[in-house]
Amino acid sequence: MAGHDTTVRGFDAHWTPKDILGEMTLKTLMFSNDYRHIALKGIFTSFIMLAAGGFFALVFRSELALPGVDFLGAKVYMTLMTLHGMVMVFGFLIPLTVSINYYILPKILGTEKLIWAGAAQWSYWILILAAVLLVIGRPDFTWTAYAPMSFRTGNPYLWMGHVAILLVAISEFLAGAVLFRNAISGKGGWSKTPLMAWAAGTIGLLFMVSTLPLGFIGYGLLSDWAQWNPTAYFDPSRGGSIRFFLYTFWTYGHPAVYLPFVPAIAIIYTIMPRFLGHPMWSYWSGVIAFILLSIGAMPIGPHHFQPVYTISGDYERFVQILTMLVFIPSVLHVFNWISSLFMAPIPDSARRAIPFKFMVMSIAFIVYGGATAFLNAQIAPDSDFIHNTYWIPAHFHAMFFGFSGQMAFAGFYFLYPYFTGRMYNQAMANWHFWLWQVGLFIKITGMGVAGYLYFPRWVYDYLPDMPGWAEAQLFITIGGFMVGLGFIFFVVNIVWSSKYGKTVDDDPWPIVMNDNEAAEAAAAPAE
Amino acid sequence: MENALGIWGPQAIMMAVTASFTIFGMIMLLAAVFMGRRWNPGYSVEVAFVALMLGLAYYADFLSVKTYAAYQENMNSEEKKVSGNYTGQGEAAFDQVVTVIAFQWGFGFINEENELSRNAVIVKPGEKVLFKIVSNDVIHGFNIPVAQITAEIDPDDKRELWIKAPDTPGKYLIQCVNYCGVGHAQMKAWLVVQGEEPTASLKTNGENTNGGA
Repeated sequence: MAGHDTTVRGFDAHWTPKDILGEMTLKTLMFSNDYRHIALKGIFTSFIMLAAGGFFALVFRSELALPGVDFLGAKVYMTLMTLHGMVMVFGFLIPLTVSINYYILPKILGTEKLIWAGAAQWSYWILILAAVLLVIGRPDFTWTAYAPMSFRTGNPYLWMGHVAILLVAISEFLAGAVLFRNAISGKGGWSKTPLMAWAAGTIGLLFMVSTLPLGFIGYGLLSDWAQWNPTAYFDPSRGGSIRFFLYTFWTYGHPAVYLPFVPAIAIIYTIMPRFLGHPMWSYWSGVIAFILLSIGAMPIGPHHFQPVYTISGDYERFVQILTMLVFIPSVLHVFNWISSLFMAPIPDSARRAIPFKFMVMSIAFIVYGGATAFLNAQIAPDSDFIHNTYWIPAHFHAMFFGFSGQMAFAGFYFLYPYFTGRMYNQAMANWHFWLWQVGLFIKITGMGVAGYLYFPRWVYDYLPDMPGWAEAQLFITIGGFMVGLGFIFFVVNIVWSSKYGKTVDDDPWPIVMNDNEAAEAAAAPAE
Repeated sequence: MENALGIWGPQAIMMAVTASFTIFGMIMLLAAVFMGRRWNPGYSVEVAFVALMLGLAYYADFLSVKTYAAYQENMNSEEKKVSGNYTGQGEAAFDQVVTVIAFQWGFGFINEENELSRNAVIVKPGEKVLFKIVSNDVIHGFNIPVAQITAEIDPDDKRELWIKAPDTPGKYLIQCVNYCGVGHAQMKAWLVVQGEEPTASLKTNGENTNGGA
């Protein structure tokens, strides 16, 4: 097989495969500022978070599987639910996608080092502290921490939840600063900047701007809980305002869903050309989409709640229109990806590669979760069956897990041979892949159906005789357990393969257009 | 039952549009991966696609605002009659006006005779009922699945909703859909549609159980 040719645009994501993981010591794990070490630390920590968050989910999924079953009780259920949400978004998705960007960016920009690595370290350790506080404090106010409920839940360690929110904001701010600083370090001007760097630049800015309100939310909740100030920020009984809370929170809250989303999109733009053997269909279409997505993120936050005093007023309509317009950058992205897949024959090597499979299916899930979300943006259906029913978890599980999470796993599988020097086990990876696709589809569709039947969010038990509720919940639980089983295949695979996998020397992802021709070539001794 | 927001009208159109959009996307993805023939679309195709999205956004906004404005208009015009000098007559007026207090964790209903009932409100079949909803503690939700209406109740605000009660006598669920604390799952109430017959033994789907609990 020929060596890797990095002169072709989009092929830069290539390292010499090496057992970096095996060579890591406790010291490099803690203090090394090598970009690969920092990234691997983030990646594997996020897998621990995924295992924890997934375990919480399976526990309360078992509780929900049948009506009347109650082994957790409301308090424990809500604690697990809160931790599931916070751990999955702040602990798993954002760090995983960002860490994969940390791994790839310095290479494709040619800097070979993570600029401001110290900030990335601080970002990591502050997040760990936040996770520890969450686990000790066990808040039960859901990840949105709506005031004034979130400082009235009668938990003496509630402040830990508020401090954790503040710490998450600081951690994400630093991560955004690192992404932005690295994105602007490329040589050769804007038109030579890889799409991943465009993504990192725009989302880095959004990170830095949008975490400011989140930090204020953390501080404000803490201050209101501790009654530091005579006048509260968010507590209406002491002169605070809930509207203020809602607008502030969702000014962060909508960008928050883009914080893993855009880095995941960046991973597609980086690894798709590697597998297809040609550049993306359009470069500038991607750039424009990244810019539009970042601009659109903050003003549309109010679509997450119902600004009731303007429910049919101009402001809500403005938010509705903007929300529907923010579909356009996503459509530009998806159009770009499907066109890239369509424009030339897909190599047989790509069809076989697990990262490529995960990538294709994550595009399927963004279509599923994104196109159906066109309804969510509209006031009428939102006031009918969408607002805070299971329709919403269906939407964000499709986007967060079906798209961002699976895309991050595609990135991980792509990087795996580079940092272990060995290839994953194909059979186990296939099991992981199929269990996740089927499980996720069942889970997300079940949630959508439950939402359409008005199943409310955040309940630990439900009425047995509402039509379709019990069936939908059983389906979701089955899907959830399939996803859990797939994760076990994944863990066994990466552990086993790091020791016994086939060794990789040069390019783990050579492009083989046609397997039959390649078989003839392989019959001759390798060069 | 006729739904206040008209789910089988404009919303069904939007659901069909959304479903076709999803299916179209899936077909294109499948074709791109599995079809033998290759296709390299030009920028004009992408521009056309964006134009289609703009058109859809315009159409969706038009439909949604029309639907919701009709719902709201109905309320506003009738609200004047109700709170100004309510006569109880005329086609436009509501048959019943109920004040709802959402609290941790339940619903209190105050009817026009100032009678307070907790977690149940009694209406007649097919009645048009106006709910004036307030919350004194935290953010709550108010959802009547059978009437296909969902609202978020903020303590800062008063929220008004109207429904047309089901024609079949029975007991229909009213629930909170916003997480409001540890008792959220228990925050339920019943919309009791009472005909001429007593409704003591009604199932939640409205069928009469003839002597059940």
